[in-house]
Amino acid sequence: MHFVTGGAFNGKRAWVKKVYKDAVWVSAYENGLLPAELAITTNLLVLEGIEIWIRELTKQHDDANQCREIWNCCLNGWHRWEKADPNRLVVVIGTDITKGIVPMEKENRLWRDVTGWAYQDLAAKAEKVDFIWYGINQTIKSGGDC
Amino acid sequence: MSVLSHNASLIFITGGVRSGKSSFAEKHAEEIAIETGGQLNYLATGVPSDPEMTERIEKHQRDRETGECQWKTVERSVHIGELVSSFNSEDIVLLDCVTTLLNNELFSRGHVWDNLFLTNVQESVVSGILKLKNQAKALIVVSNEVLNEPLAGNELVFTYGKLLGRIHQELVKEADQAFLVEAGVPVLMKGVQR
Repeated sequence: MHFVTGGAFNGKRAWVKKVYKDAVWVSAYENGLLPAELAITTNLLVLEGIEIWIRELTKQHDDANQCREIWNCCLNGWHRWEKADPNRLVVVIGTDITKGIVPMEKENRLWRDVTGWAYQDLAAKAEKVDFIWYGINQTIKSGGDC
Repeated sequence: MSVLSHNASLIFITGGVRSGKSSFAEKHAEEIAIETGGQLNYLATGVPSDPEMTERIEKHQRDRETGECQWKTVERSVHIGELVSSFNSEDIVLLDCVTTLLNNELFSRGHVWDNLFLTNVQESVVSGILKLKNQAKALIVVSNEVLNEPLAGNELVFTYGKLLGRIHQELVKEADQAFLVEAGVPVLMKGVQR
């Protein structure tokens, strides 16, 4: 798994498109939902807009731990799919929303908290993590295994 | 002043609030001035809107005046590209900061934020910066890290963030050096350390 993060409008999508050609894209910006189980006939899958999906998750479950458990089930599912064939790779793009002022609204605080934890869990599982800053990537983890 | 020896450079610096990005930018400019013997210019874009901002501007001015290096202040709140004839190829110019300039361009004339206007603003900011860069010895541009929090809740904030992100991407692409300042520590993101 390759986790790509960074602030909004920093060029994450363009960077992933440049690095991974001919991938199948599933975008939360388009339909709001990401697949827990993958039934896709491709070896290269990009999941984009993870933070939107995590927000949906926190709307359905107001307990952070429960959200995180569901999230980890998904991560495990993607990981299993990936490991079933050595040619498979899942690239996950998540916008960093965690460095602003504490949100006024409870639901936005929950969203932000769960997103932070979800990214930690994702980064721990990913073999590679890149941070994109205005089009420039910084590999902050590589060669890791779970 | 041979054209061949004129090695124009663009240096892009961002950081969070009170990260030390302005101090670093000034220090960096002064180092280039000492090295090249060029004139230091401070391009002031801020229009003081309240006492707090006036105070902050005065503090920055005092800091520049009490330092060893002599700064020249040039004031311009919009269309900075029109300043091109004010500088020569020996000048070192510091623009602090892009967000202030963008605010001035966006809010000064009560425009409707349609796509045409936003594209024009982006073009005005980026081409203005590149014009000055090509004219001067070095142009140092400071901006703010504001895109690491949710932007989707408010359309104005979202549009602003999108525009600023695009401008930053263009500037980093054009920059010879780019720094992210974290807690006073400049992290070189692009280019080589001088």
